[in-house]
Amino acid sequence: MDILTFIVAPMVLSLLSGALAFIIVLVDSLVNNYPDFTIDINNGRKKLTAKGGSSLLVTLSSQGIFIPSACGGKASCGACKVKIESDVGVILPTELPYLSEEEKKDNIRLACQIKLKNNIRLSIPEDLLYVKQFDATVESITDLTYDIKQIKLKLLSPDSIDFKAGQYVQLIIPPYGQIPEKTQRAYSMSNTPSDNQHAELLIRLVPGGLLTTYVHKFMQVNEKVVFTGPFGDFFLRDTKAEMICVAGGSGMAPIKSIIYDMYEKKNFDRSIWYFFGAKSARDLFYLDELKELERLMPSFHFIPALSNPDPADNWKGETGLITNILDKYLKTVIKASSPKEAYLCGSPGMIDATVKVLNVNGIASEKIYYDKFA
Amino acid sequence: MKMTPEYLKAQENMHAGIISSSGFLGSDSRLISDIISNDEELVQALGMNFTEITNRLKFFMEKALNGFGNPVTVDEVWEVFSEEARGVIPCPFEDGSFKKINIYVKKKGSKDSIVFSDLGIHLIEKHHFFQGRDAFFRLDPEKIKKILF
Repeated sequence: MDILTFIVAPMVLSLLSGALAFIIVLVDSLVNNYPDFTIDINNGRKKLTAKGGSSLLVTLSSQGIFIPSACGGKASCGACKVKIESDVGVILPTELPYLSEEEKKDNIRLACQIKLKNNIRLSIPEDLLYVKQFDATVESITDLTYDIKQIKLKLLSPDSIDFKAGQYVQLIIPPYGQIPEKTQRAYSMSNTPSDNQHAELLIRLVPGGLLTTYVHKFMQVNEKVVFTGPFGDFFLRDTKAEMICVAGGSGMAPIKSIIYDMYEKKNFDRSIWYFFGAKSARDLFYLDELKELERLMPSFHFIPALSNPDPADNWKGETGLITNILDKYLKTVIKASSPKEAYLCGSPGMIDATVKVLNVNGIASEKIYYDKFA
Repeated sequence: MKMTPEYLKAQENMHAGIISSSGFLGSDSRLISDIISNDEELVQALGMNFTEITNRLKFFMEKALNGFGNPVTVDEVWEVFSEEARGVIPCPFEDGSFKKINIYVKKKGSKDSIVFSDLGIHLIEKHHFFQGRDAFFRLDPEKIKKILF
């Protein structure tokens, strides 16, 4: 009885477990042993060969093609949309929340949800073929307000980045604390393209945010980070139109980059009206720098506004919701006759309300460019 | 209440670092089926129901969103404001994704305040889940009754 219990039974169990593991490995290698497949991008513009089995998003990034993704492939951001030109099977339930009816008809899919099981043809914006992955080191971390930090990244490899003022990068941070995986999120660059050896980002702490918590509580000067970029079509249009810029919080980043880029290029022909909304004085930053820029660049007008100033702020500037201040200026200060275009960066609610104000004041939606936090 | 496969997966997703840095369970070591049934009993004992709770939360969210991040006074009693961040956050029950919107509600003239998210409303409405003890976004039913009604 004892021999059976303590020697024979465990041996039988071990043999059975071993046999089962062998069968699992064998079946896995037969069923999931994908051959190499071809990925044709933009009608032959670029052709890749890759082993099947992984998601299209991961496969592309492993070959140096970086599709924007804020969630890193968990189907929770809907950013990694690509147009598929060949059959990859039906749309998955995980993709449905992110695709409009029009996108479904156009065969737009989430790259993170498509598994490479056949040769595949797809189309992506041409700009994405030039997106690179950068290794960088954290050069400085500066508190701009109680909840916004400016982090300045020094590029290591490649050691410079070509971008348009207003574009963004995807910052990737390592696993930390209880966070088991890498996390990536999109942030606009606030430096100008002339400073092409740095990426300067403004990051507001989001309660519970995976990446922002890391940046605010764990990130150290001199640590190594990785990012991809540049991405996005929020940049200055080459026209003579008067510019209306509206931002709040960390939405300052791309607008700052655009305006300082204009200053550096001595682009003084266009009037710029920059409305920056905040709750109270403790939410304001770059105030002195932008006031100084106003002095150096007569075409630039900076209008910070506080919606709820603290009596101790001793605030002498504009008070009220930024949309109301904008409306007032459009009706009474800014000449109605000149052609205008608008550049907005902030929360979806602020942008929607700002677009309404601009429309009411005669600025057509097609002349309004924005970077929505959505 | 039984821990269905859906609940087991959700409980796994609720740990810190999976969907959010601090997770949905706080210091609570109970199964989510127990957290849910305890809170369901509490809601009933308080004479409330889930529809009125979620309607009230949606009411404050709508008011707060009108301020685009700035404080808005509601009925001269509450001060509310919203915070929005880029992107969406998935529900741990894997039945949808929600904009990253946090709503702060403070009863004027008191220290009583409450914070909730767009996802938090969904968790209560669809799953009767108010989140675990000490979780940052836990909406305690008693606190909801005291502050929001």
